Amino acid sequence: MKATDPVLELAAARPFFDQSALPNTRFDLRLMAGECALVVTHDADRATALSDLCSGMLDLRDGAVRFMGYNWSELGHEQTYALRGRIGRLPQRGAWIGMLRTHINILLPLLHHTREPLDSLVDQAVELARQVGLPGLPIGRPEAMPEADLMRAACVRAFLGEPRLLLLEHSISADSDELITPLLNLLTRALDRGAAAICFTRDSRLWRTQAFPLAHHLHLLEDGLNPVRSVREKSRQRDATERERTD
Amino acid sequence: MSGLATAGQPHGTPTPQPPPAAPRRGDAPAWQRWLAATGHFTKQRISFLCMLAAASWGVLREAVRPISWRRTVRHEFRITMRQATIGGLATAFVTASLTGFAMVSQALYWLGVAGQAELAGSLLVTVLVRELTPLLVGLILLGRSGMLTVTEFGMLKAGGQVRTMISQGIDPFLLLVMPRTLAMSLSGFTLGMLFAAVALVMGYIVSAALGTTQDSLWLFLDKVVSAMTVRDYMVIPAKLFAIGYLVGLSSCLTGLTASTDDDLASLMPRGFVRGILVIMVTSILLTLTV
Repeated sequence: MKATDPVLELAAARPFFDQSALPNTRFDLRLMAGECALVVTHDADRATALSDLCSGMLDLRDGAVRFMGYNWSELGHEQTYALRGRIGRLPQRGAWIGMLRTHINILLPLLHHTREPLDSLVDQAVELARQVGLPGLPIGRPEAMPEADLMRAACVRAFLGEPRLLLLEHSISADSDELITPLLNLLTRALDRGAAAICFTRDSRLWRTQAFPLAHHLHLLEDGLNPVRSVREKSRQRDATERERTD
Repeated sequence: MSGLATAGQPHGTPTPQPPPAAPRRGDAPAWQRWLAATGHFTKQRISFLCMLAAASWGVLREAVRPISWRRTVRHEFRITMRQATIGGLATAFVTASLTGFAMVSQALYWLGVAGQAELAGSLLVTVLVRELTPLLVGLILLGRSGMLTVTEFGMLKAGGQVRTMISQGIDPFLLLVMPRTLAMSLSGFTLGMLFAAVALVMGYIVSAALGTTQDSLWLFLDKVVSAMTVRDYMVIPAKLFAIGYLVGLSSCLTGLTASTDDDLASLMPRGFVRGILVIMVTSILLTLTV
């Protein structure tokens, strides 16, 4: 992958309609290293489906999805799985493997994909856990943990191992204000390191109040991904249109 | 209504007829429905058989590649070995003791009464070690580990956790199916060997206590071992490995192919029936072919 290549590129990608909750349309998006896209959607299934599309989990009718310069549809079985190990996801549901304890759940992707010593992985995970407000690495069963702690543990899992792409499907709401600051700190550090991120939200006001630098602000609607225009942009465009008319 | 529909048309224009209604499923004759149901049933059975064959090959292919044996896979293999072998040890010992008590001592007694005591070795090898041991060990594996696998994997699939694994780049076949299948295969062999030894020793102890045999334990065991042919040395391990392997694989596949409509009430009987069929068919096929 060259430095000028996007980390993630959706090039007129149209998944099969019956395979996902995404609308039957083409998706275009280019995310360079250090860029973050905010996608506003009220449909949780669509957020998951778009994350699946970015992770190469949906078959394409036409177009291409490239991650780190690799076209998902041209990769072999092993390469596909290995490349997915470079993606950190903060999923909405079904996120915890019930037969494993929480700390194994957190460490599992890196234990599977890397040969890094266990102690080193545990140290990294403990450090991240402290940053999101946990006293250490949670070792209980996921179903026995409070929802808020589970959310923090999910953040640890998503950011562990310096992923190149972050897909934060879980919509951060105003009532999780204890988590928003550490999460944005982690996100900022990841972006500075050269990762790209897509954050899904139901309400973008929270992101506006945090004044987080966004490369793309998009709406996921029936006709695909549409840029969200601010009030100032809208009035500027209206003025331009009126000027054209009067000329 | 028809007048309104044709009001704007010139005279002589044929009135458009509504398209003929598509035949509904319930409208089909009884024999066609019966045929469809038979086909559906057969297709379902055959598809599982094909899946089992393909996955068997897949497990063997992955097992010989060093890269498949990552630390997560090795961990899963160790856990399954412990659960199936050490966990199944007590059950195997009790079942083997009862089998020894009921079968070996009875065989020794009745063969002695009939004056055919010299056939004890070949009879025990054929009936106990070659036929009964793989069946009973298969049932122990199915009950203790296979059904657990069906439940665990069924819940993983229904809860969307398998998809989570895939999204993390973890192949469920590599992490779950391969190590469990191989561990259960090895466990089948281990439990089978222990089962046969315990059943023979227990049978001898009971017979000696009842006075139906005058041989020493070593002489008795020597008779059994002498009665074994080259074919037995091939068939017995083959059966134990194959039954463990297929019980493990069938349980994994039953769990991982659960649909959203499935619950434990539908999944468990399916897993049990498939497991039993796999045990019986494998045992019979190996007896007939090797």
